[in-house]
Amino acid sequence: MKSFPVAGGRSVSLGLFSDVSNSRELLELMQSGKLEPEVAFLNASLVPDVFPVLAAAHKAVVSQGRESLTTRTLHSELVYNYSGSKHITESLKRCGISEDTSYILAARFDASNEEIKAVEKLICGTEIDLAELETRANQPQILKHYKITPQELSISTLPDAIVCRIAARDAL
Amino acid sequence: MDSTQEQQQDFGVLLKQGAEGRVFVSTFVGRKCVIKERFSKKYRHPLLDSKLTLKRLNAEARCMTKARKLGVPTPVLYAVDPLLHTLTFEYVDGLSVKDILLGFGSNGINEEQLIDIATQIGNAVGKLHDGGLVHGDLTTSNMIIKNNTNQLVLIDFGLSFISTIPEDKAVDLYVLERALISMHSSCGDVMEKILTAYRKVSKQWCATTNKLAQVRQRGRKRTMIG
Repeated sequence: MKSFPVAGGRSVSLGLFSDVSNSRELLELMQSGKLEPEVAFLNASLVPDVFPVLAAAHKAVVSQGRESLTTRTLHSELVYNYSGSKHITESLKRCGISEDTSYILAARFDASNEEIKAVEKLICGTEIDLAELETRANQPQILKHYKITPQELSISTLPDAIVCRIAARDAL
Repeated sequence: MDSTQEQQQDFGVLLKQGAEGRVFVSTFVGRKCVIKERFSKKYRHPLLDSKLTLKRLNAEARCMTKARKLGVPTPVLYAVDPLLHTLTFEYVDGLSVKDILLGFGSNGINEEQLIDIATQIGNAVGKLHDGGLVHGDLTTSNMIIKNNTNQLVLIDFGLSFISTIPEDKAVDLYVLERALISMHSSCGDVMEKILTAYRKVSKQWCATTNKLAQVRQRGRKRTMIG
């Protein structure tokens, strides 16, 4: 997993995993709140780059600092923010993982080395380089989820279009 | 006044200061960014002040992202902070159209580049207007030509609003025309080149240009007699 600074001395560590076989188990652990350490799982086929994830993480950290998280935990807030939508259940369903997801982006805030190891152990799959995000992203699915038109894509990259939606969500 | 000392937030390096806000250069999760802060006005009632500031902040974020959806390049919006009243967006590296045109005034005109800029302005404004978005402050200092791509980027949507009325669009173009005449008369008739491109792009050019002729005769503000 790779660590990125977010804001105010806080960081988020991201790890990309393919061929994950235990997503059902991960989902159950997460939903019962028994995940140790607590991690956010994103449906990685909706993630074409790390930058939108960092923007969502920044937003989550700021909300937490103000005690105005919309969802229950900082990690679920990351998934919710990444969706760019205000519908929490739908966001977690689409941008989070389901029972049969095999391609997962894991995120952990302020992770220590032990925690990173624990997360890597938790997920039964192959960890691959974050640079793979761009080629493995499911573009048609992203365009549909974020309602990105060809007009917008003519002047914007896919990650930038997503960042705009994450940032502007609460202004709409 | 005491407002200079009072809560100077550390947003980064001050770039510009205006009547409604300040603009800083900073970084956002590893990328160079611009932070635009709308400060509160002490002469207004606090409740009214916070409502107005927040409303305008959100409106600006909405209009900027709407412009991108219409295919008009604007800086990527990175974050909106309703508490600090800030907008964070992409740092666009380049010269403003104002500086480029002023350069033409003193160093001679690069006709090819001038036509390219005017065409891009016409295209951008045409797309905005057809999408029902009025920029509200079309001046040459609110347009940046990106350094590596020569792409025109529109900035400052602080006065933008949604409207499909030809009058509003005509006033938008009129403001641009006045700005060009007063700042860049040495560049020749740039407005004509812009309008040529505008007519090609906009499907509603006819109503807008007719209205523009009326607006030219009376000025930006409507007379309210009778």
